[in-house]
Amino acid sequence: MLRKILSLVMVFLITAGVAFAQSGSIEGTITNQQSGEAVVGANVFIQSINKGAATDQNGNFTINDVPYDTYELRMSFIGYKTKTISITVDQPTVTVNEQLESSVAVLDELVVTAFGIERSKKSTPFQSKQVSSESINEVPSTSPAQGLVGKVAGLTINQGGGNIKPNNSINLRGLRSITRNNEPLVVIDGIKANLNAFRDLNSEDVENVNVLKGATSAALYGSDASNGALVVTTKSGTQGGELQVGIKNTTTFNEVAFVPDFQTKFGTGIDGAYVPYENTNWGPRFDGQVRILGEDFPDGYPVENQMVSYDYKEGAIKDFYQTGADVKNTLYFSGGVETGSFYLSLGQNNKTGLVPDDEYQKYTITANGTKQLGDVTLGVNANYFSDTKDVVGNNIGEQGRPLKWHIINTPGNAPLTQYKDYQDPQSYGNPNNYFNRYYDNPYWAIGTHRDLDDTNRLRGNVSAAWNVVDNINVTGRLGINSVNAQGKNFRERQTYEDFRVSNDFLSATVTDSESQYTAVNGNFVAEGKFELTDQIGLDAALGSSVEMIDSRNSSITANNLSVPGFFDISNGTGSPITNVNESQTRTYGFFGKATFDYEDWLFVTATGRQDFTSTLAADDNSYFYPSFGVSAVLTEAVPALEDVSFLTFLKVTANNSTVYSDLGAYETTEVFVQSGAFPLATNGFFLTNTAIDPDIKKEKLNSTEFSLNSAFFGGRLNFDASYYFTNTENLITNISPSVASASTGYLTNIGKLSGSGYEATLGGDVIRSQDFSWNVSANYSHYEQQVDEIQEGTNEIAIGGRQFAIKGQVFPTLKTLSYQRDDQGRVIVDRETGEPLTGTVDSQGQTTPKHIIGLNTGVNYKGLRLSGTMTYRTGHVYYATGIDAMEFTGRTVESAASNRNPFVFPNSSYEDPNNPGEYIANNSIALAGDRSFWTGQWNNIKENYVRDASALRLRTLAVNYSLPAQLLSRTNGVVSKVSLGFVGRNLLTFTPTDESRFSDPEFGGGGYFSAQPTRSYGFNVNIEF
Amino acid sequence: MIATGLLVMSCEDFLDVNTDPNNPENVSPDLVLPVGLNYTSGYIGGDRQLNHLGSMMMYSYGEAEGFDWYDAEFNYRLSGGFYAQMFQSPYTSSLKQYNVLTNQPEQFGYYNAIGNIMKAYHYQILVDMYGSIPYSNALQRGSNVAPTYDDPQAVYDSLIVQLTDAINTIDQTNSMDNVAQVGVDDAVFGGDMNKWGAFANSIKIRILTRESDVKDAAYINSELANIQNNGYGFITGNVGINPGYIAFESGKQNPYWNDFAIGFDESSDNTYLATPATQFVINFFQGLDDPRLDFIFETPSSGAHNGINQGAKELLASTDDLGPGGVSNFNLPSSFDEFNGPSNATLGEDEGVLRGPEMATIIMTQAELQFNLAELALEGFNVSGTPQSYYEAGITASFQYLGLSASDASDYYTQSTENVSWTSSPNKMNAIHTQKWLGLFGLNMGQVWFDYNRTGYPNADPVGVSSSPIARAPSGFPISLETNETDRPVRLLYPNSEASRNPENVPANSGIDPFTDYIFWAQ
Repeated sequence: MLRKILSLVMVFLITAGVAFAQSGSIEGTITNQQSGEAVVGANVFIQSINKGAATDQNGNFTINDVPYDTYELRMSFIGYKTKTISITVDQPTVTVNEQLESSVAVLDELVVTAFGIERSKKSTPFQSKQVSSESINEVPSTSPAQGLVGKVAGLTINQGGGNIKPNNSINLRGLRSITRNNEPLVVIDGIKANLNAFRDLNSEDVENVNVLKGATSAALYGSDASNGALVVTTKSGTQGGELQVGIKNTTTFNEVAFVPDFQTKFGTGIDGAYVPYENTNWGPRFDGQVRILGEDFPDGYPVENQMVSYDYKEGAIKDFYQTGADVKNTLYFSGGVETGSFYLSLGQNNKTGLVPDDEYQKYTITANGTKQLGDVTLGVNANYFSDTKDVVGNNIGEQGRPLKWHIINTPGNAPLTQYKDYQDPQSYGNPNNYFNRYYDNPYWAIGTHRDLDDTNRLRGNVSAAWNVVDNINVTGRLGINSVNAQGKNFRERQTYEDFRVSNDFLSATVTDSESQYTAVNGNFVAEGKFELTDQIGLDAALGSSVEMIDSRNSSITANNLSVPGFFDISNGTGSPITNVNESQTRTYGFFGKATFDYEDWLFVTATGRQDFTSTLAADDNSYFYPSFGVSAVLTEAVPALEDVSFLTFLKVTANNSTVYSDLGAYETTEVFVQSGAFPLATNGFFLTNTAIDPDIKKEKLNSTEFSLNSAFFGGRLNFDASYYFTNTENLITNISPSVASASTGYLTNIGKLSGSGYEATLGGDVIRSQDFSWNVSANYSHYEQQVDEIQEGTNEIAIGGRQFAIKGQVFPTLKTLSYQRDDQGRVIVDRETGEPLTGTVDSQGQTTPKHIIGLNTGVNYKGLRLSGTMTYRTGHVYYATGIDAMEFTGRTVESAASNRNPFVFPNSSYEDPNNPGEYIANNSIALAGDRSFWTGQWNNIKENYVRDASALRLRTLAVNYSLPAQLLSRTNGVVSKVSLGFVGRNLLTFTPTDESRFSDPEFGGGGYFSAQPTRSYGFNVNIEF
Repeated sequence: MIATGLLVMSCEDFLDVNTDPNNPENVSPDLVLPVGLNYTSGYIGGDRQLNHLGSMMMYSYGEAEGFDWYDAEFNYRLSGGFYAQMFQSPYTSSLKQYNVLTNQPEQFGYYNAIGNIMKAYHYQILVDMYGSIPYSNALQRGSNVAPTYDDPQAVYDSLIVQLTDAINTIDQTNSMDNVAQVGVDDAVFGGDMNKWGAFANSIKIRILTRESDVKDAAYINSELANIQNNGYGFITGNVGINPGYIAFESGKQNPYWNDFAIGFDESSDNTYLATPATQFVINFFQGLDDPRLDFIFETPSSGAHNGINQGAKELLASTDDLGPGGVSNFNLPSSFDEFNGPSNATLGEDEGVLRGPEMATIIMTQAELQFNLAELALEGFNVSGTPQSYYEAGITASFQYLGLSASDASDYYTQSTENVSWTSSPNKMNAIHTQKWLGLFGLNMGQVWFDYNRTGYPNADPVGVSSSPIARAPSGFPISLETNETDRPVRLLYPNSEASRNPENVPANSGIDPFTDYIFWAQ
């Protein structure tokens, strides 16, 4: 298979080298019809030969090497009406000076949709939003996904685990499946890729990202369509354009934005008594007295006992983290020749982490090019990505806990940052002398537990587009997305002195892992435009696509290593533990699309795809994906509207589609798995834990969307709105059967979800003048999924993290054990102990935001630009795992609220012993308020750890200054652009202040294992030649 | 379309790639059996599994200072989460595997028989802890995701039938040609089907003894006659599972050793450090002049046995060294002393309870069989020997297993001490169950807990004086100092998973009092 692909690639490359014939050039200037100013960056393009240029700072353009002939020359630019003129090239230089009329973007804007099919925005029956390179890179970050936050209604991006290599989760319009993928499809340069490929891009290489919302927009992709799509286009240079060379540096500094709220009154100990080696904070109240901290060393031990004042060490946790540097450089070359264009960039990103010694490097090379060969345009997009990560291990010490666990288990009176030296046997950081008997010195962990990863990705595609006749062209694309990665995780051996009775010793271990992933995608599309009658036109496409994914992961672990500091598999004792996992999937499909237009204002689109997949049984592996849509431009259809002077544009659309979500490889068959302990004397296999429904089908999603797009005052004000609803049936659900069925899960099609949502975007230019402009755009979205049906006899399914799918309720819903409350809402307490009574497991709210608001603004004054993005998400809750986990140590704010004294539970009541069912206000029965209460009943009622997840954030703030052209002209055209900027990300975050906070829910959910919330600030410099 | 066509056509059966290359769809029974047996081994011996639970219930172990290990156990804080693995693990691991064996074609008759014998072994334990359990509709995977619960007496009756059928299957398979022979994959008897027949008979004795107070005597006697007549006899030693445990490899050690002794990387396990003898047990052994004490528990470096009663830790004077180094943890073979942290290992090879990472897990002891027969004989059922002979054989079997001799045993049981010598014991039933408690110590303590729930024995006072605080149940047997209950629980509650996954069928925990709702076999 691979050989065939390579030979196809070779054919493209060889044919790309052929050159040809006799020609002239077109030169000219484009100006604004109203003001007479130069239009900078306008596109001038000849469709039939696929050649064009962009206007420069003075509105000038040149298209070289145009064969003698007559052409349609199209001039377009965002904010202007596109103009097409006829021009005949019959001499070496033809001059064209044209004026463009300001207009409304949507009228002529093109949208790149599925399989690279470009459609005029007014004909698309679904919602999409394009985000430009400038917007994404206003505040550059390691991953381009970060640049989309807050800019698109309905698009939610959260920071996942890991600070140094961000692993953002991306979601469009909420969740539609309980167990299946809820991530949007990613298409890069016309070829299906995946989210990781998008995350790995150098954001500077991105030309734009078109966010296609809803399943209808992606229905042509079949089983990947259900969550919408991000259609990414990378930079390509301009055919016939000038060579540009640029360098851009962005340097930012990351710091911890947030450390947990902890109590500051009590330190090391148990039940009010001082215990010098405890991690728990149940000791006496801080008194400043100097006491022994840690083990009482035996007589003759060469280290003196550590004496530390018993008071709160403010900032110890925050000071543990350092400020990380993030330096990103991109060198790029962009330009074109007469018959082609190219873009080449080299990117480098070096980061140091918040955790000392964490390091990350990322390198990217992108090479894109096009070549014109008569009626055929050949293209190549190639991207090579390589990164290395060296971070502290994730499973530290005997208990295998993450670093953060060891940090937060440092009691308030311990001077955490004084334990940096762990190697010197005389230091208090040395594991033998470290004060904490139960958890390890984080600095020791950093030095002795490491996770190393190298990832390399080669992603690229070749394409050929043939303009067969004027109105028909065909395009073929073939792409590859290939990843290979190696990892090494290791832990160093540690021995302990005999007096540390709780610590025996820690053996050394190493795991080597490798993974390979190759996805090959091909697609072929034929498009044609036909005038059926004077009024009716047809825009049709037929195509096919194929995908092949092969992956292989393997790991070897060697335990109990013998030679210290030598982390090789050969150093292990016993047999190494090995694991290999391979998988293959194949899909292909045939599709068609037809858009009929009536008088260029009414568009009716139907699409269909017949899809075949390898992951289902051969007799039931083919599904049909239909979609229908209507778009009507009312401002062109209704004469009355044309007379409304302030209304420039009004389009309404409706669409409906049915798509299916695929199963994964090998999911449909029960298998035997080699049992963990085996081979012993014999080999051994166990029947897999999950039972599988032999008749399992794909999950079915039907979605409907109504929307409008409008523009007012010549496009100065825009308003878009949409309403949609979805129905998911045959949910592929791993239900939890009775364990007595001999299975822990049962994979079947059960349940229905229905969802709806609306979103609106209002934006415009508040001020638009020659030197000064100010634009603001606000977007709002709301979506909600409800569980209509689960299996018979079951009302809910746990989906992890205390989240549930509950019949009749919003999905996902957080449920926890709650208080018992009387009918006045007072907490019912035990009449003897005063302790609140445990109620039932109740819903605590939804975990996806009910309301999301994004606000973007930019102010331009001459070369100076100030821009920012804010977001507000609210109406949802999260479970503060970290606070729950720290209750046992007496570290939480609540645990010190009563100063460890008895107190009457606020707003409580108790049952009247004489009138059962009646409740008497409790003003006097005090509960103990000691360790056993907080770690017992309080900790048992998990409602205590539900937090409002609302947050208002200043996501980005940037000030950029571009040097004026007059100044640059002194360099005689050597330097064409110099810009300097200051940038900040997550500078301000406001969360509800009436609750204690452990973390930021957007950073991995708020648990102790999640990434540390960060803020960053820095500068960037961009010079172009 | 052409490109796609080329790609699709050029490889035949383009979509035919959905056969899992990582895991087989079918394997032969010899690859299934050892995994099932290894699960059973873990279920009896593993961390917080049956022997561990029985030992906590029967007051074997306390908790060393520096550990907060047994809070729920010492409080008898039963809930749907307390030892839920006792219910969940057999159905989803061992029984699942044995069910694969009992669905094999005829030539795998031996595997079929072993599967049924091991199923009976597990189902009895489930009944003994829960009463009604899923049985006749259980193990059907996707075909029945919410099985009904069967009456416990009916399950017991059916288990006797299943065991009889298994023995018949062995007989029939013996007379067939081309049968699949069981070999090294049989981690219990190495393929000796006569021993499986004997084991089936011995499980029947366990079942019949347990229900002897509630079942009519004719039934018991006729089943005892069937046992007599099938000719397989009884097990002649301890029944242990050893699929080939490996000393110093991760996940391949004996699970009991791994939990209570030294890990694969030669570090002491925390459970080992956390779990010393109770002072009561030490006093008891010492008071009866019982040499088995030193074979089970080490002597700490102070030179004298030191235990901590359940829940007593915080009541004791802080001057005592109650950390792992100062208390009597398990004794181990001296060859492991160098890895052994704060301990004084003194045993030889093949001595004591914890014998090394490659030891077998005992799932039925000879001593237990003998004490069961002693009880049946005492109650007048048709067994061949006298209660005294079975009783003394039980003590002897226990001594011999630990590394002592038959004459050590007779020196012991000829002392004229109540509950030691048969003749000096006024309450023979108490003597049997006292010696069963001592004789199964550290091995199959779950069985002793079930018998206490059934009979109220042992109830004996320890001989000797202890400074350690102690609390007692009405029977006289001690209970944890932390509990407000008057005695230990007599059963477990159903796991929460059943309430959420099988709510139509599982009896509600709210309707069960785990301290008074006895299993059907208790009078």
